[in-house]
Amino acid sequence: MSVRRLVRSLGTWLSVGTLLFVVMAPFGWVFSSSFKPTRLIIASTPTLLPVPFVLEHYVKLLRASPYLTYLANSTVVALLTMVIVVSLASPAAYALYRLRFPGRDYLLRIVLITYAFPRMLLMIPFYTLFTRVRLVDTLQALVLVNVTFAAPFGVWMLRAFFQAIPREIEEAAALDGATRLQTLTRIMVPLTAPGVASVAMFAFVASWTEYMFASFLINSDSRRTIPVGLAALMGQYDIDWGLLLAGATLTSLPVLILFAFVGQAFVRGLTAGAVK
Amino acid sequence: MQPNERHFHGSGRRLWPRARGEAPLAIAMVLPLFLWLLGTILLPLLFAIRMSFFDVGIIGTGGAFVGLANYAHLLSSRPFWEAMGLSVKWSVASLGLQMTASFGAALILHQRFRGQGFARVWIIVPWIVPTVVTVIMWRWMLGTSGGIVNYLLQALGLISSQVGFFGTRQLAFASVVFINSWRMFPLTGVMLLAAMQSIPEELYEAARVDGASAVQRTLHITLPGLRPVLFALGLINTLWLVNLFDVIWLLTGGGPGTATTTAPVYIYDVAFNAYRLSRASAASVLFGLGLMVFVFVYYRLLGGVMEEEA
Repeated sequence: MSVRRLVRSLGTWLSVGTLLFVVMAPFGWVFSSSFKPTRLIIASTPTLLPVPFVLEHYVKLLRASPYLTYLANSTVVALLTMVIVVSLASPAAYALYRLRFPGRDYLLRIVLITYAFPRMLLMIPFYTLFTRVRLVDTLQALVLVNVTFAAPFGVWMLRAFFQAIPREIEEAAALDGATRLQTLTRIMVPLTAPGVASVAMFAFVASWTEYMFASFLINSDSRRTIPVGLAALMGQYDIDWGLLLAGATLTSLPVLILFAFVGQAFVRGLTAGAVK
Repeated sequence: MQPNERHFHGSGRRLWPRARGEAPLAIAMVLPLFLWLLGTILLPLLFAIRMSFFDVGIIGTGGAFVGLANYAHLLSSRPFWEAMGLSVKWSVASLGLQMTASFGAALILHQRFRGQGFARVWIIVPWIVPTVVTVIMWRWMLGTSGGIVNYLLQALGLISSQVGFFGTRQLAFASVVFINSWRMFPLTGVMLLAAMQSIPEELYEAARVDGASAVQRTLHITLPGLRPVLFALGLINTLWLVNLFDVIWLLTGGGPGTATTTAPVYIYDVAFNAYRLSRASAASVLFGLGLMVFVFVYYRLLGGVMEEEA
């Protein structure tokens, strides 16, 4: 029995280890290489550790490139997107998943359709309409676009969280004399906090990564967001890989930090929908 | 529920009026979202359709009504059909690779091991991280300036000189398929995992007692049990793949030549490089119609899966 068990657990560790390696190693590699001098980054024989350890790429990124401007823009857009998406999606999800009213099924279907809607169809109308109302080259335009694409998915993600709360809790509160509003704020909000946090994180991440619309809705460098800015650096003739690796590392950080806090609830919201 | 509770609900209209009374509150809660969606999806969509019947180039030029001219031009243009065909090829190849990898990942994560909670959450990091980061990462790793993949392949003796992974048509396509699959497979993997975990353990036990091997158990219990999820994932994944723009655009710009010019890349190109906004509008309408046909056919052919669940 011993040997079979040993082989099996070895198999488990190997398979899990390989999977995690495939997924994480590239990030570790980029992160570590961002601290290498350029000659080591582009050398045909790679060196494993950043020795010598240099901060020149980060210094250049933060001092001599527009990265901080891009960062400020991306942050503003992402935070606004997050707030609006949560404000739109949470009440809607509550109504759709916990209340009964005529037309509920139709609305649920509409949420599903908008969620699967091809963005390409909206590319040109948004460009044209925004140009007409002088919203081109503004951060508000980006927020508008991001909210549109994140909100339906946000509602869908909240399904698991909202449906998991038994009706009895609300009914008990009503029996105790609570008004609808009190029940909502004192009971539902704390209970659905993980779900709402997941949607907030999703909205932030979706906005943080958005490239396509940002690429043609923004023209001036002062309003550019990170993905477009970094992509432009990549399009140059003489690619500064150190700068790009540093940029890539820094850009991943906020998302990874958020994920460290909200990741578990987030995955729960994502996967619960998969198990109907 | 006790009998007297049920009775209470009957007179519960005193507290919170049910069905009919819930409507005003429900509508108030749902209205902001749907008004937003109405204004930002339906109206622009109608505008796009209208625009496809005109001749608009760069903003401010053209605008004459041309009826179906844009559509006629597209339907007889080779680049358009090449892009549509490439989208199909792209979806099939990506779906195949991604689903296989996802299934493997789900099987691996389904095991019991220390840190399984951590692994099952952090595995989706490739999808969480901005696509620009993924692109920079892989462009460098698969490139020729210190690209580790070339180094490893040479060190292992598999190739004799550096390979330009984005240099030839076939390789560029394969590289993009691989990179996007790497990015996406953990996401679909955890979804499959969640579905796998809802398959009752008793079924596996019974099979083990009957002497079924691990492979047999996977084929006859796991896979059938996953059918509804695979159906839903197949659909949603294909929609994601077909609509994907930024990963492809940032990796190859549609090249070399038109080797990676899928439908979204083509439409973007027509809109912002050729500045034919109306034609691009028409192309996206055709693209949308194609998607609807696909969804319809998908349900028709495979929808039987959902009924079998009962």
